[in-house]
Amino acid sequence: MDNLIHEIKTKIIAGFSLEKVTPQDIQTDAPLFGAGLGLDSIDALELVSILERDYGIVIQERGVADKAFASVRALAQFIVANRQPCPGGTQS
Amino acid sequence: MSGRNPVITGRGIITAAGCGIAQVWEAIRGEHVGLGRLSLFSSPRFAAHAVGEVRADVAGLAGGLRGSRSDQLGWVAAREALIDAGLSTPIQGVRAERVGVVMGATVGGMLGTEAVLAGWLKGRRKRWAPLRHHECSGTAEVCATLSGALGPCLTLSTACSAGAMAIVTGAELIENGDVDLVMVGAADSLSRLTLNGFGSLLLLDPDGCRPFDHRRAGISLGEGAAVLILEAAETAWARGARILAKLEGWSASCDAHHATAPHPEGLGAARALRGAVDGIHGAEPIDFISAHGTGTRDNDAMEARALHRVLGETLPPVASVKRFFGHTLAASGAIKAVLCVQSLIRQATPGNPGFQVADPELNLEPARSFEPRAITRVLSNSFGFGGNNVALVFSKAGPPTDPGKMTSGVSTKPRRQPMAILALGVISPVGHGMDAVWGALGGGGASSTEIEVPLLSPPMRVPALACGEIDAGCFPDPTRRRRWSRIQQMILAATYQVATPEFRRSWTPERTSLSVGTGLGALNDTMAFVENLIANDERAPRPTFFTNSVHNSLASQVAIELGIMGPNVTTVQREVSFEAALGHGIRRLARCGNDVALVGAADELSPHALAVGARWGWWDKATSAPRARNGLGLRPPWGGRMPAGEGAVMVALASPSPGAARLASVEGLRLGRMPWKSGERLDAEAEARWVEEALESAEIAPGDVDLWLTGANGWDPMDSAYASVHEAWTRRVGRSTPKGRYKQGCGEFHTASGFGFMVATGLVAGRVDPACCVAGDAWESGRPCRTVVLHTMSSWGCKGVTCLRT
Repeated sequence: MDNLIHEIKTKIIAGFSLEKVTPQDIQTDAPLFGAGLGLDSIDALELVSILERDYGIVIQERGVADKAFASVRALAQFIVANRQPCPGGTQS
Repeated sequence: MSGRNPVITGRGIITAAGCGIAQVWEAIRGEHVGLGRLSLFSSPRFAAHAVGEVRADVAGLAGGLRGSRSDQLGWVAAREALIDAGLSTPIQGVRAERVGVVMGATVGGMLGTEAVLAGWLKGRRKRWAPLRHHECSGTAEVCATLSGALGPCLTLSTACSAGAMAIVTGAELIENGDVDLVMVGAADSLSRLTLNGFGSLLLLDPDGCRPFDHRRAGISLGEGAAVLILEAAETAWARGARILAKLEGWSASCDAHHATAPHPEGLGAARALRGAVDGIHGAEPIDFISAHGTGTRDNDAMEARALHRVLGETLPPVASVKRFFGHTLAASGAIKAVLCVQSLIRQATPGNPGFQVADPELNLEPARSFEPRAITRVLSNSFGFGGNNVALVFSKAGPPTDPGKMTSGVSTKPRRQPMAILALGVISPVGHGMDAVWGALGGGGASSTEIEVPLLSPPMRVPALACGEIDAGCFPDPTRRRRWSRIQQMILAATYQVATPEFRRSWTPERTSLSVGTGLGALNDTMAFVENLIANDERAPRPTFFTNSVHNSLASQVAIELGIMGPNVTTVQREVSFEAALGHGIRRLARCGNDVALVGAADELSPHALAVGARWGWWDKATSAPRARNGLGLRPPWGGRMPAGEGAVMVALASPSPGAARLASVEGLRLGRMPWKSGERLDAEAEARWVEEALESAEIAPGDVDLWLTGANGWDPMDSAYASVHEAWTRRVGRSTPKGRYKQGCGEFHTASGFGFMVATGLVAGRVDPACCVAGDAWESGRPCRTVVLHTMSSWGCKGVTCLRT
């Protein structure tokens, strides 16, 4: 789980082009959006895209995304529960 | 409201619910929803979604017109509107130069471009032909060409409000005396880009949209077109036209809030609504509201709030027609306008299919069904990405009025509207910033770099003039640019050069307008989105690339960063895209007495455009290859045709005030179309006369013109055309004026004339030596340069002339 949490943080930094942010700067249990990192609704949608690309998880509704993205830990749990084998994705 | 009143004399429409007003109205009366499965192209991801696809044979209906599906849809609607207005094709009985075309578009020929890209990426035979119809401006050009219109030909790309914004622009051209008759409307076809784009934003409702319903979950994407014939009331009366309705009020605003989401309280929308309603004579109420009502959670909630904010707790009947044929993007506002006119004629209003359960948060229950209703005045709302809001008020045509009583002796000639240039920002291949660029022009030109173009086989390197890296220090908060496309960075960097904190304190956000011209928008991000779709079979579409792909992502981002809340317009018209934006800025200042009008333009280099240009022989393969002597007798420093370039400009304009500091003055601007394509013979005499009339309107005597600056690019057909018009003008006025060029500093791209405008400003401000724009020793040193004519012609027939003065 810790590996996955670190992986998610790395993906967020790369995927959102966050300059000067390190994985240590992202709190595992803090809300991911609307605070701290200055991430917004389009970042949340980019995260939906990343989940599909790398973990094979297809999200079609905003409500599902809102719950899954409560924090990095919540997201890791969501990925563990829903991930699909995915040819192009990373496996950790 | 001053000026001439616009009336509607014709209407045309094509949607998934039918082709032609009779069919569409019948579907609405009978409540037949036109949504269904997608068959136009295959979509692995959205095959089961309900979409509003036009089932009719669109190409056949368009008479085999060569163009994109959007162009064909647009022409089908335009032809119906012309017939409805009792006009022939081409139009007779109205002077061609007094007929304009203003169309909205977001998709353009994307459907064809996607097929081409798919062929390339999947290693199939490379097809190029559909790319000729890629651009959004094609629909307006097709309508102008086939109807014979020679007045201004404009395309607006303000996302989903574009159709309504086209109507606003057409109305203001009439009011201003620029045209007597104008075809206004919009067309958009379905495409993989928009379907997956809205999908990536989680804004598609698989079951079809349910506007204002408690369970609403998004839009249904649709396609279609609609066109209205707008005329000045007195000229319509004079030609005996049947008046269907009047356009009584209109207004536009910008949220300056978010790239895709509306302001949650609907503050921007409310300002547009209030502007339109306040514009009405007298205090007659609104009898019916044609809502934007897309069916997304945010739009419908915001729209309900805005309506309550402006019209009070108790609203007149409201309905959204989106479920009949889907959200047709740019076409939506035009389609609704046609239906509003039809409602006024038939005295009946549509229902709101898809609505079943009221949403307690909205405090709005739409009209459930089609109903006969006595109505005099209807309001139509349109909102788009980037917080672009437009509201229109249509009213019933009264009994025929004697034209003598309609207006108070308003001239039918364009008004003289000189504007002061307060500041200029520029990002160009020869430098960043006005002073740097003006200083560098004497150096002879930019040096070219080579860009790898992988799409060609074999891949090759194409020379181009690039702007280089945009310094992060240009931006107050560099972290904000993490999602910006390159072209957004370019336009914002140019904007921040102009919008110093001190200057910004002199504007009121609501009284500042913004218009940006672009030929191809954020082409790199657009292509990245589409290539990702093709390569991954629509898996994991990227929302950032989609939001950047709309042409108005430039103007929206500038508005958001600087809080500019006045009307926000993106103009797309090939080589005159900048002039089209300039026209908008001048009209805002003249009509509304705004504080400042910001006018910009930008285009970026892209391997895709370079590949197309190389394929079609636009660029010389080797920069040093000499070409035949071109018509202007000019030769760029490297010889031959200009390579591709890129750049961004931003100009701050204001109404002239005595004593106020300014760089120069824009004395006049005229836009039009010529029955010409590069390679054909140009009627140089007619073009020279046209420029002469533009100078007359600007009150500039031919003898006052010190320099004639052209968009000559070293390509024989274009340069010969420029030279022939200049020669014909010289003969007419009996005076020789030096001619010059500017593309040596920026290269060739759609909005290069924005760079030309900046050079012209430097010339009349005494900051640029005219000798660096004029070939050989044709410029007598020490001669004053106070008045410059900037002449732009597009190889597709659009043209513009701008007069600048010290």
